[in-house]
Amino acid sequence: MIKLIEKIEGEAKLHFSFKNKKIDFVDIEFLQTRSIEKILEEKNAFDALVINPRVCGICGHAHLIATVEALEDCYEDLEVSNKAKIMRELTLNFELIQNHFKWFYFTVLPLFGYKQAVLKAALPSQIMAKAIAVIGGQYPHNSYAVVGGVVSEITHMDIIKLEQYINETQNFFDENLIHLENEDILKCESIDSLFNKKGDLSQILGDIRKNKWEQLGKSYDRFIAFGENSYFTKGKSLKTRRFTDISIEDVVEFSTQSSYAKNVTFKDKYFEVGPLSRAIINKNGLIKDSHSKFEDSIVSRIVARVLEIPQLLNHTKNLINQINLDEPSYIKPKIDISKITSSGYSAVEAARGTLIHKVNLENGIIKKYDIITPTQWNLSNGTRENQGISQKAMIGLKDEKIAEIVFKSFDVCSVCTTH
Amino acid sequence: MQQKVKVLWITGLACNGNTHSFLNYPNLGQFLDNFEFIYHPIIESKYSLEEIVSNTIPCDVLLIEGSISAEIEKADKKLIDIISNYAKVVNKIITVGTCSTFGGIFRDSEYEDITGLHFNETLEVERFRKIKDKTISISGCPIHPELLINTLYSIKNKIELKLDEYLRPKEYFAYTIHNGCTRNEYFEYKVDNHQFGKKEGCMFYDHGCQAPFTHGSCNKILWNEVNSKTRAGQPCMGCTEPDFPKSNLFKTKKNMGIPANLPLGVAKRTYLTLAGVTKAFTINRLEKDIFDD
Repeated sequence: MIKLIEKIEGEAKLHFSFKNKKIDFVDIEFLQTRSIEKILEEKNAFDALVINPRVCGICGHAHLIATVEALEDCYEDLEVSNKAKIMRELTLNFELIQNHFKWFYFTVLPLFGYKQAVLKAALPSQIMAKAIAVIGGQYPHNSYAVVGGVVSEITHMDIIKLEQYINETQNFFDENLIHLENEDILKCESIDSLFNKKGDLSQILGDIRKNKWEQLGKSYDRFIAFGENSYFTKGKSLKTRRFTDISIEDVVEFSTQSSYAKNVTFKDKYFEVGPLSRAIINKNGLIKDSHSKFEDSIVSRIVARVLEIPQLLNHTKNLINQINLDEPSYIKPKIDISKITSSGYSAVEAARGTLIHKVNLENGIIKKYDIITPTQWNLSNGTRENQGISQKAMIGLKDEKIAEIVFKSFDVCSVCTTH
Repeated sequence: MQQKVKVLWITGLACNGNTHSFLNYPNLGQFLDNFEFIYHPIIESKYSLEEIVSNTIPCDVLLIEGSISAEIEKADKKLIDIISNYAKVVNKIITVGTCSTFGGIFRDSEYEDITGLHFNETLEVERFRKIKDKTISISGCPIHPELLINTLYSIKNKIELKLDEYLRPKEYFAYTIHNGCTRNEYFEYKVDNHQFGKKEGCMFYDHGCQAPFTHGSCNKILWNEVNSKTRAGQPCMGCTEPDFPKSNLFKTKKNMGIPANLPLGVAKRTYLTLAGVTKAFTINRLEKDIFDD
């Protein structure tokens, strides 16, 4: 049977095959392509800073940061101030946070039979959008990060504003997602302690337990993250073994016949990306505990994504304190882009996982541009013999409604996938 | 209780940026008390996309996001047929964003004849001419949420809006992005030593800012209620206009040292005269960092 999955930043078709009343294969089909990589060819390099945020309405800022870092990688000797790097990291964190709230309240709640909480999704994500706008001018779709830094200046007053936004968002989280009396969510290391609390996250976890879905949605238990910054670490994890020595050269993207989306492998194997991968690679205590009990099930995936919110808020607060306002926001590159013939790449951790951009420039003109998005990793459409991450996670389930829960636990982004 | 206005939001070839910008509207709760989506790309709705495309569900306003091509399908039905079908029953149509208004960024994608609903850049598109009277364009990449939502309220309140040649409400698009920019003094007195990363300076002269010749209200009705791109220091990229995106976006195109695109309605001779006069002055306050003593 075929099921059209809607409201995933577009649509996708899942073609289910059943054997003995259980799903034995799922073919994932994305229905459009927008040819952004082709659109970029023969354009001036800096135009990519304007075009690429338009890959995606919900994580376009990650595409901006990936673009600027890929272009900067084309230079041999380019200086970017620490202040500019922190500003970029702040705005990217704000984007991740707004995404996670939207995913939980728009996507997760209806999967468990509740009405969407539109205003609970909108309120904190609007605050985070404001925080991005204070630095970058607007959200979505700014191009404030440029080769050499950022276009904007930040003041003490801006920082006061940002701190207020962060506190307001933190309060929203504490009041709505999980109520931990006299306990700090960031110090909590036991997944069991989250099940019997009040709050929207605990409610969902309780429903999972009631339905005996704690082990639902397991895949290969293989995780990868290439993005590195002051919070995230590069690495891969197989079961509980972690490795940090990984190279983008081993990442391969290839087309399949049945979908517009391309598959992505690392050393010929499919890997999961996203908050769960980042938390496992970062050795987060609570998520490690969840993983030891429920492995890469929907419990671990949901908790990892939602709890990335307070972790990032806390880290972002500390990061703001590290800004030295005396540093320049922008340092003009010594060489004009029109004299650059080179190639570069970048990897950033976007809301849904590792995002890779690769660019080839000839005298400042884009000759080739490649974008590998997080959803391509998670939703690669493999064969029966070598299934993708989400395909594997849906095998053995009895019906397509439960499969939809598993599918959406990856926080699917159709527009990114069909860039 | 007053009946809610029924709205159908349908998406062509898009990034969903308008959808997410819409969600940034501060009084969303109040809006949803007055309007009901029979379909929306994110917000739960009474009908599935398959039900929407296979039937004609009664509704009042059709919102179209994304570029349009005869090759694009939604739930196995042609997008242009879905639009034609619903265009007959609704009172008004709004093209939400630059893609559905002018074709936008995905004009260069691999679909055939990809355009906006009524315009392919500045050229009129024949296909939907009959429904042009029903259409209002809210361009922008993305739209500013207030512009869309207030336009919807104006439809609810049966207010006839004055529209420009591209069907955009004049109340929002008669202005230029330049209106209200905090860098205006640098523009007026032609202080053209702008550097990125600075609060000072005008980006029109060297860094490709299109604000003086781009229609919109970005500096009048601020983004996310707090800022705008040009205030932050990013040149306006002209995202509300038919030819968005132009090329070589961070550089001002010049002929003989004069910006090729002059402020809206300003003749070259007028511009040169004014520029000559202002260049004769040195205004110390504008030559140094604004917070310096």
